[in-house]
Amino acid sequence: MNYNNDNRPPSGWNRITSVWHRHERVYNSNFISNAFPPLLEPLIILAGLGIGLGSYIQTMGTMSYTLFLASGIIVTSSMYTAAFECTYGTFIRLEFDHVYDGMLGAPISPTNLILGEILFAGTKGFIFALAVLIITWLTGIIDYPLSIIAAFIGFICGIMFGTLSMWITSCVKNINHFNFYFTGLLSPMFFFSGSVFPIENLPPAMQWVAEATPLTHVVRLARAFCVADQLGWYLMTDLLYCGIFILITGWLAVRGLKKRLVD
Amino acid sequence: MSDMAIQIRNLVKSYGELLAVDNLDFDVARTECFGLLGPNGAGKTTTMKIIYGKALPSPNKDTVIDIFGYHPRKDALIIKAFSGIVPQQDNLDSELNVTDNLLIYSRFYGMKARDAKSRIAELLDFMELQDKAKVKIRELSGGMQRRLTIARALINKPKLLILDEPTTGLDPQVRHLIWNKIRELKEMGVTVLLTTHYMEEAFQICDRIIIMDKGRKILEGKPHQLLSANLEAYVMEIYGATKERIADSPYINRSGIRHESYQDTMFVYSNDSEKLSGCAEALHISDYHIRQANLEDLFLKVTGRGLNELQ
Repeated sequence: MNYNNDNRPPSGWNRITSVWHRHERVYNSNFISNAFPPLLEPLIILAGLGIGLGSYIQTMGTMSYTLFLASGIIVTSSMYTAAFECTYGTFIRLEFDHVYDGMLGAPISPTNLILGEILFAGTKGFIFALAVLIITWLTGIIDYPLSIIAAFIGFICGIMFGTLSMWITSCVKNINHFNFYFTGLLSPMFFFSGSVFPIENLPPAMQWVAEATPLTHVVRLARAFCVADQLGWYLMTDLLYCGIFILITGWLAVRGLKKRLVD
Repeated sequence: MSDMAIQIRNLVKSYGELLAVDNLDFDVARTECFGLLGPNGAGKTTTMKIIYGKALPSPNKDTVIDIFGYHPRKDALIIKAFSGIVPQQDNLDSELNVTDNLLIYSRFYGMKARDAKSRIAELLDFMELQDKAKVKIRELSGGMQRRLTIARALINKPKLLILDEPTTGLDPQVRHLIWNKIRELKEMGVTVLLTTHYMEEAFQICDRIIIMDKGRKILEGKPHQLLSANLEAYVMEIYGATKERIADSPYINRSGIRHESYQDTMFVYSNDSEKLSGCAEALHISDYHIRQANLEDLFLKVTGRGLNELQ
């Protein structure tokens, strides 16, 4: 055995995907218990609100309420899976399992590690959105051909909530503090983003708040691809919002977590 | 190419008010096994983390850090690509099996799956884990997990192996196995840097050591030489009540032999074991023990017997 290697580190992209690969392997080793409950949730919402509330409200603007609801909760499942991954998941890897200490012993930089993590959150966002889409296709609720693109909006949503959650994680010292994030930020966002009812009829101040939060924009984008005659240039504003949001929270996440990873 | 694997000069690291590493200097030659010894809080782990970029040194214009020609601030990835790192705590993926753990790690070095698989078989043989290839991590004993963490650090055939307390908490059989493996690696050309607070470990495998305390280097040299230069060859330990009786004895004070007390034990030092037994006889002591002085005595002599706030 020749122990005099002069190996160079792999390329930046390969370093990021090797982190992604690690998460994929660990996640899939417990696939059923990891993926089943979060997938059940949108189904419960669809059944509960769709059948229950849907029998009172037949139409929501130009579409049926079930279609409105189904096209709204495609990306909320992406939001929750990315948020859980990059709060509890990241925190446990950082503080309890010391997984990052092992990874940083290999030629992986803290930034590579954080980007790999966010990429994985985006992937989960894609898979979860796709799973909800498949159910809506099978039940015939959504039949618009472009609706497959909503899964890619799920990817964008996963990245957005990945970067936001990683930034939150970099500020959190105690795992119980994530309760504030989920109850105080994500739950209201779920209701006031246009996913279960439209925001257009809210008081102007609340509309303004809703437009400022990230979920509203991905819900609008996803719905536009699931329902006929919704596409238009106005969606560019939402895409632009997503891009800027990812850059800012991503930068904050990298800056904050680097301090936690390097003494 | 320089003969030196590692050169450290005037290394300083502070965490707020706490000075963890205080103007540390040392060199490690190629294929040498070099040990950092010291009590908890001496700055050993911090020094190691600085070498592979897990901690940043405090700004100081006189600091020199040279790891095979690279500086961790700029080239941490290059240093890590040719090094193997065994952190203090095992951090294997407990849900996965042994082979998967190593496969995932091999990807971090950009190894192809086929090369990685043959390398993994080699490493499991080397660390005597060949029967455990498909076993999940949480079913492995602590000693097996430690061996696997070392195997993981060897996946890239490193020329520098960094081990932070490699055998803490392990039973004697595993410790001896790990020591043997480290010796073998050294013979294969690996430079080894390790921290330990086991004096025997330093004696068994280190070519040279430094003893650190409160971030400073206190002693440096080959283990045997440090011992003979700084300490008498024999120690007599006197226990309990007898100690009280003879502590003020004029015989001890007159004979000029060095002695010290710690809790209920008195330590009397001399280069002549006959002199020590003579002393015991003269004082009518029956409950005593004479042994060769070891590195532990030296360690306690230079770092003090009291506990610091981190122990």
